[in-house]
Amino acid sequence: MSILDVTSLDAGYGDLQVLFDVDLHVDAGEYVTIVGPNGAGKSTVMKSIFGLTHHMDGSIVYRGTNIEANDPEENVHEGLAYVPQSDNVFPPLSVRENLEMGAYILDEVPEDALQSVFDRFPILEERQQQKAGSMSGGQRQMLAMGRALMLDPALILLDEPSAGLAPDLVDEMFDNIDRIVESGTAVLMVEQNAKEALSRCDRGYVLVNGENRYSDDGETLLGDEQIRREFLGG
Amino acid sequence: MIRQLTTGELTVALIASYLWRGLAYGLVIGLAGVGLSLTYDLLDFANFAHGDYITISAFVGWGVAYLVAGFGQFSPGSLLFLGVGGTVYPQDVGISVTAAPVAILVGLIIAALVGALLAVALDSAVYKSMRGAGNITLLIASVGVAFVLRYAAVFLFTQQTFGLTADSWSYEIGLPGGAVRITSASLLLIIVALVMMIAIHLLLTRTKLGKAMRAMGANQQLARVTGIPSEKIVRRTWLIGGALAGIAGFMIALLQGTINYQIGWTLLLLVFAGVIMGGIGSVYGAIVGGILVGLITRVSLIWIPASFTEATGFAVMILILLTRPAGIFGGDAT
Repeated sequence: MSILDVTSLDAGYGDLQVLFDVDLHVDAGEYVTIVGPNGAGKSTVMKSIFGLTHHMDGSIVYRGTNIEANDPEENVHEGLAYVPQSDNVFPPLSVRENLEMGAYILDEVPEDALQSVFDRFPILEERQQQKAGSMSGGQRQMLAMGRALMLDPALILLDEPSAGLAPDLVDEMFDNIDRIVESGTAVLMVEQNAKEALSRCDRGYVLVNGENRYSDDGETLLGDEQIRREFLGG
Repeated sequence: MIRQLTTGELTVALIASYLWRGLAYGLVIGLAGVGLSLTYDLLDFANFAHGDYITISAFVGWGVAYLVAGFGQFSPGSLLFLGVGGTVYPQDVGISVTAAPVAILVGLIIAALVGALLAVALDSAVYKSMRGAGNITLLIASVGVAFVLRYAAVFLFTQQTFGLTADSWSYEIGLPGGAVRITSASLLLIIVALVMMIAIHLLLTRTKLGKAMRAMGANQQLARVTGIPSEKIVRRTWLIGGALAGIAGFMIALLQGTINYQIGWTLLLLVFAGVIMGGIGSVYGAIVGGILVGLITRVSLIWIPASFTEATGFAVMILILLTRPAGIFGGDAT
């Protein structure tokens, strides 16, 4: 059963249309990746789902509710989480405060959710008093995901989680995402590192010039000669 | 300075009394700066009307203080308008920190309330619709708001400078070469300012609102996607900043013993100097910068004529910015 249904989505910034007639869906607990060349509009898809772009046409249905007219705050209340590609932590706040902000909409900080984030990323528990701004890139990325997990969302949108990470940390990051999926949270991810992403995910979309060009399960896309040659750099 | 000290031109007592007055003055500048810095941090907006929030709330606060102190003896209208046109004089009302503590306290609270409400009202009436229109638009709009408020004060209270307080208790500490006079006004100011600063620190580090304010200041976009309700946080920030402006206004009038329609505007220039010196957007920078400006402008009186004190404050600000362009606490917001 799908929890996210995007149908004929047109969206962009101001008058500039970036996405044309994009269709995609994510099932409950599914791991879906969007790949494609630079400038294809991958990040714009994420932003549009979360209410950060100018919605022009088409529908976005999340768990039975139309959310295309929602602002980001309303989407947080709907149980959707989004991790931006960069600047995704609050540098002057401590690690713990960053996580607390993730649960801002609740009256109390959910101790069990906090504990499960700490169990998932033990480094965050060790450094909970440290300022987020003084953490390494990999640790910040973990903190950003931890923040998004504080409300136990049914779907988490990850925008290029491996961007800017040292090569030896990229695998660890993908392992972390695998564990998020294993625990039952659906993931919709945009990735530059297409081979790695497609080999790990359940299903993938190839986005070109703001349009869905191909969609299939990850291994099939990865095995397709033409897609490899044109979009995945051989 | 050492030569002056040894020859007796300059006494320890004189330096100490300049330091004491500088501290009191600096704390009030810092208190006013906190509000300015908070709204700058959240909205990237240097509010030039902040000084006139100070003026208006000081006038209303003192009007109410007069009303409480002189109720029954004088007409309420004359009291509320501080005896404009020479109907009531401070000596008649007998108002001072020690003679009428309740009146002073009520006035202080009213000044805080007026500052808070004024800040929120002007935000929703003027600034809110301009968010996203750019800092320059907001800045120019705030200059307009400043003039409207200033001349509203002139309309109500004229351009007269009012004496506010009667003589009150003070304590003299004997030091070589004289004594330091600790007035009840400066003592009250220092206590109130310190309490407010500790309260602000606790707010920012211990409460959900404070943490959300810091989060918004650090990254607006991320705050939005995290579900932090921006407009609500902005409104509360104005409320807090306005209340602090009101308290600063009431206190600066108490410290000087006089008030006129330019009290806040004159203070604002020094507040800006303090805030920029400390690193604009940083609350702790605003406090430290404010205290520094207060100390510098008062202590410089030893060598420099009184009419140059503000220039001295700004000269030191420029020197600090030459070595630390982002200010003392610059770069690390709140």
